Amino acid sequence: MLAAERWRTATAVLVVAIAAVAWWNAGYFAHELIQQVAILAIFAMSLDLLVGFTGMVSLGHAAFFGLGAYATAALQVMFGWTVLEAMAGAVAVGAIGALLVGCFAVRLSGVFFIMVTLAVGEALHAYLFKDRSFGGDDGMGGIERLDLSGIGISLDNPAAFSVFVIGIAVVVYVFLETIVRSPFGRLLQAIHSNPARVRALGCPVPRYKLAVFTLAGAVAALAGSLSAPHTAFISPELLTWTTSGEVLIVVIVGGMGSLIGPVVGAAVVVLATHYISGFTDYWMMFMGLFFIAVVVFAGNGLYGTIEAVRILLSRSTRAPR
Amino acid sequence: MRAIQATIGVVGLMAAGLLYSPTAIAENPVKIGVILPYSGVYASLGGEITQGMELGFATYLNGAAEIELITEDSEVKPNVGLSKAKKLVFQDEVDLLVGPVASNVANALRDFVHSQEIPLIIPNAGNNLLTGERCSRWVLRTSFSNGQITRGMGPWLMEHGYDTVYLIAADYAAGHQMMDAFRETYTAAGGSVVGEAFPPLRDTKDFGPFFAQIKAIAPKAVFAFFAGGQAIQFVKQYDQFGLKESVKLTGAGWLTSPLYVHAQGTAAEGILGILNYVPGIDSPENHAFQAAYQAEYGRVASEFAVQGYDTARLIVEALKITGGDASDRGALVDAMHAVSFVGPRGLLRIDPLTNNIIQDIHVFETMAGAEGTELHVVDTLPAMQDARNGCTL
Amino acid sequence: MLSDPTFLAIQVLNGLQLASLLFLLSVGLSVVFGLMNFINLAHGTLYMLGAYIGLSLVRWTGSYWIAFAIAPLCVAAIGAVFHVVLLRRMQAASPMRQVLVTFGLIYVGLDSVRYFWGDYSHGFDAPDSLSGMVHLFGESYPAYRLFVIALGLGVLLVLYLALEKTRLGAVVRAGVDDSETASAIGLNVSGAFFLVFCLGCALAGLAGVVAAPVISIYPGMGISILISALIVVVVGGPGSLAGAAFGALLVGMVETFGQVLAPSYASMVLYGLMALVLVVRPAGLFPARARR
Repeated sequence: MLAAERWRTATAVLVVAIAAVAWWNAGYFAHELIQQVAILAIFAMSLDLLVGFTGMVSLGHAAFFGLGAYATAALQVMFGWTVLEAMAGAVAVGAIGALLVGCFAVRLSGVFFIMVTLAVGEALHAYLFKDRSFGGDDGMGGIERLDLSGIGISLDNPAAFSVFVIGIAVVVYVFLETIVRSPFGRLLQAIHSNPARVRALGCPVPRYKLAVFTLAGAVAALAGSLSAPHTAFISPELLTWTTSGEVLIVVIVGGMGSLIGPVVGAAVVVLATHYISGFTDYWMMFMGLFFIAVVVFAGNGLYGTIEAVRILLSRSTRAPR
Repeated sequence: MRAIQATIGVVGLMAAGLLYSPTAIAENPVKIGVILPYSGVYASLGGEITQGMELGFATYLNGAAEIELITEDSEVKPNVGLSKAKKLVFQDEVDLLVGPVASNVANALRDFVHSQEIPLIIPNAGNNLLTGERCSRWVLRTSFSNGQITRGMGPWLMEHGYDTVYLIAADYAAGHQMMDAFRETYTAAGGSVVGEAFPPLRDTKDFGPFFAQIKAIAPKAVFAFFAGGQAIQFVKQYDQFGLKESVKLTGAGWLTSPLYVHAQGTAAEGILGILNYVPGIDSPENHAFQAAYQAEYGRVASEFAVQGYDTARLIVEALKITGGDASDRGALVDAMHAVSFVGPRGLLRIDPLTNNIIQDIHVFETMAGAEGTELHVVDTLPAMQDARNGCTL
Repeated sequence: MLSDPTFLAIQVLNGLQLASLLFLLSVGLSVVFGLMNFINLAHGTLYMLGAYIGLSLVRWTGSYWIAFAIAPLCVAAIGAVFHVVLLRRMQAASPMRQVLVTFGLIYVGLDSVRYFWGDYSHGFDAPDSLSGMVHLFGESYPAYRLFVIALGLGVLLVLYLALEKTRLGAVVRAGVDDSETASAIGLNVSGAFFLVFCLGCALAGLAGVVAAPVISIYPGMGISILISALIVVVVGGPGSLAGAAFGALLVGMVETFGQVLAPSYASMVLYGLMALVLVVRPAGLFPARARR
C-alpha cells in the first residue's frame, strides 16, 4: 500500500473509533445527528467518486439520492415490497437512472457537465413536485425500517438504527476503497489528471466515466434508501439544487479524492449547521463563506491538510543522499 | 463583628429568596416547542406568527402558568422540521408543539406526534387532510383548512352576478385544494368554470401568458390563489394588462395580504378577497389587538399574526382549565376542545369532530383609503365548519 | 386557442419581453464563458442585487430612472470587487475552482440580501411615463413591457456595434476565438475579460432593475432565473452575441407559450432541448468559437 493509502485507512479507523465513542455517549437526539452524518457520509462518498477521483463535478447528484428515497418509499408503500426488497430495488433504480443520464452526460466535461447535472436535478425535482402519484409536494409517509425482530433487535430504537447505518457506511467505505485501489480506480484517477493521454493509450474513456457515474448513482440511491426510513417521510425537497450543493460542499470541505475526507466533511457540516443555526438565522452565509475559504485557501479540504502533514513528514524523514 | 455581618447577610439573602420564590401554581414552566420557518422565503410568516403568539401570551397569561418558548427553524423542509421536532421532544422535553407554516412539513410531523402522543397545534398549514383523512387526536389547528377558506366564495360570487369564472392558482396541494372546494360550491350554485390554469409554484416569472388566455376567454371574474411574491406579481401584472376593467379579480385573501398589499399599490384596489381575517374587521377585540400589535411591532398585524395570537390564547385558556399543568397531555387536548372565545377574528372554537378551528370567514374588498390601501369587510360568513372529510377521531 | 388573434398577439409580445430580459441576463454570462471558459453561477445573485439596490435607490430618490442608471453600475462594481479579490486569485487554479467559488457566493448573496432587506417580498412600480397601456393590433398591452422589448433590442444593437466596430470588440472576438494565440500576439485578453465581466455584471443588474416592476423582488429570485439563463447559454452557444439573442428568443417563446398550452411539459421541453443541443451540437446553435 502506498503511504497515502495507509494514512487514509488509519484516518478511517480513527473515524470509526470516534463514531463508536459518540454512539456510546449519545442521547436520544444525538443519535439523530449520528444517523444524519452516516447517511450524508455515504451520499458524499458516492459524489467523491465522481468529483474527487474522476474529476466530474456534478450539481445534480441529489437526483439519485432522491430517486433512491422515492423508490424505497414507493416500492414499500405503493407496491407492498418488503423493506429489504425495496432497498435493493432502490439501488437498482438509482443505477438505472444514472446509466440513462450518464449516457449523454458523460460525453460532456467541465462546465457543461455541471450545467447538465444541474438541469437533470431540477427536472426530476419539478416532476416529483408535480406528479401526485408520489405525493407531489405533500410528500409520502409510512416508510418502515428493516424488521430485525427475528434477532431481537428493533431498528425503531435510535441506538440500534445508528449502528445499522454506521455499519452500512463502513461497508460502503471498504467497498469503495477497494474499487479505488483496483486497476479500475487507478484508471479513473488517470482520466482525472489527463484524459487525452488515457484516450491515446486506447482506453474508452466515456465507457469508464459511465461506469463510475452509474456506480455513484447506485451508492447515492443507497444513501437515499436509508434516508427514507430515517425520517419516515420523503418529499421533493430531497432533490433540490441546495441538497446537491450541500453534498458538494461536504465533499470539498472534507477533502475530495480521499474518500474518508467526505466522511469527515459530513460530520463537520452536519454539526456546524446544527450549532450555527442555533444562534443565527443566517447560517447559509456562514456555510457559503466557509466553503469559499476552503476552496480558495485549502483546496484539498480537511483531509487535504492531513495529507499535507503526511507529505511534510515524509519529506523530512527522507534520508539525505 | 464580621460574623454578625455575615449572618445578617445570609439571613437577608434567605429572606430575599423567599420573597422572590415563584408563586405560580405549576412548579415547572410549560415548555412549548415552536417549529416555524425563520430563514428562507417564508421567514416573514414565521416571524409574524411568533410575534402574534408572544403578544397573545403577554396579554392573556396573567400568571395562570409559566410558559417557555423554544423556537426552531423548520427551513420549510419536511425532514428538517421532523428532525427539529425530535430534538424538541426528546432533548428539550417540551410539553407541546406549535407549528408549522407549510403543509409539507406538517405532513411529516403528523405521524411523529401521533405516535408520540404529544399535541401539535398548527398555526398555519392548511392542507385539508390534516383535519380530514389524516386527522389525529393530537393534531389541532387554529388557522384554517384550505377548503374552509374558499368554498364560501362559490355561492357568494353567484349571488352577486358572476356566473362565469376562470380559476388560476399556484400548482401545489394548497392551490388545488382551494380551487376544488370553490369549484364544488360554485358549480352547485349554478356557476360555470370556463377555464383554469395552475402556474408552477414560485417559478413563474411572469403571468402574461395566462392573461392572454383570460382576455381571449373573457369570463365575468377570475378566482385566484397566490401568496407572497407570486401574489404581488399577479396583482400588479393583472392591472398592467388592463384586465381589471373587464374581468373582476377575486381570490383567496392572501392575494392582498396586509404583509405586502402596499407593495401592490393601486393595482390592489377593487379586488375581492375571502379570508379568515382582515385588519379591517370592526370589532372591539380586533381594534384592541391591532392597537397592541402595532404599538409593539410597528406594523399592521396580518392574518398570520392573528393566527399566532389565537394559538396562544387557546393554549392559555386550556391551561386555565387544567390548572397550569401540561403534564397530562390528553387532559390538555380535551381542555382545548372545551375552550371557546371571541378573538380578533370573531367567535372561535375547536371542532371536536375534526380538530379544525370553527371561525367566521370574511369577504372583503381592497379599497383606497386615507392612509393607503385598506381592506374593508363586505360580508361575513359565520361559523364556517368543515365536514368530517374522512376524519375519525 | 392558438388561432385566436388576441391570444397570439399578446403571447408573442409576452415571449419577446421574456426573451429580452433573458438576453440582458445571459449575454454577459455567455460571452464570459466563451472567453475564459468560466461560468459564474452567482450571475443570478447579481440580477437579484440589481433589483434590491434598485429598490433602495427608488425609495431614497423616488425616481425609477436613477435606479435604472445607478443600480447596474453598483452591481458592476460589486462584480469587479469580487473578481479582483476572489476570482483573480483563483485564475491560476482550474476554472472549476473558480466556478465553485461562485457557487459559494450564491449562499452568501442569499443571506446578505435577507440581512439587509429582510425576508418580506418587495416591489416598486414602473415610472409613470411608462405605466399606461399601448394599443397595438387591436389589443392593449402594457407600455412598460414594450419598453423592455425595446431595451433588449437596443442593447443588442449597441453590443453588436461595440463588438464589430471597436478595438475592444476586436480583442474580445479574438479572445473568444482563440485566447492563447490572442495573448501570444500581445492582445490584452485578460484586461478585455475583466471589462467584459464587469459589463456582464452591469447588464445582469440592469435586468434586475428592469424586471422588478414586472415581478416581485424576493431572495430566491436569482436562483430561479439562473437555470433559464444557463439553458439560454447552452442552447444559443456560448461566447456569441447571436447565440445569446437567439437562445433567449427560443427559451422566451417556449416558456411563454408552453406555460399556457402545455403547462406540465413546458419545463421538460426546455430541459430536453438543452440535453438535445448538448448531445447533437455541443457548441450550441450559434457557436462563436471556430470549430477546429
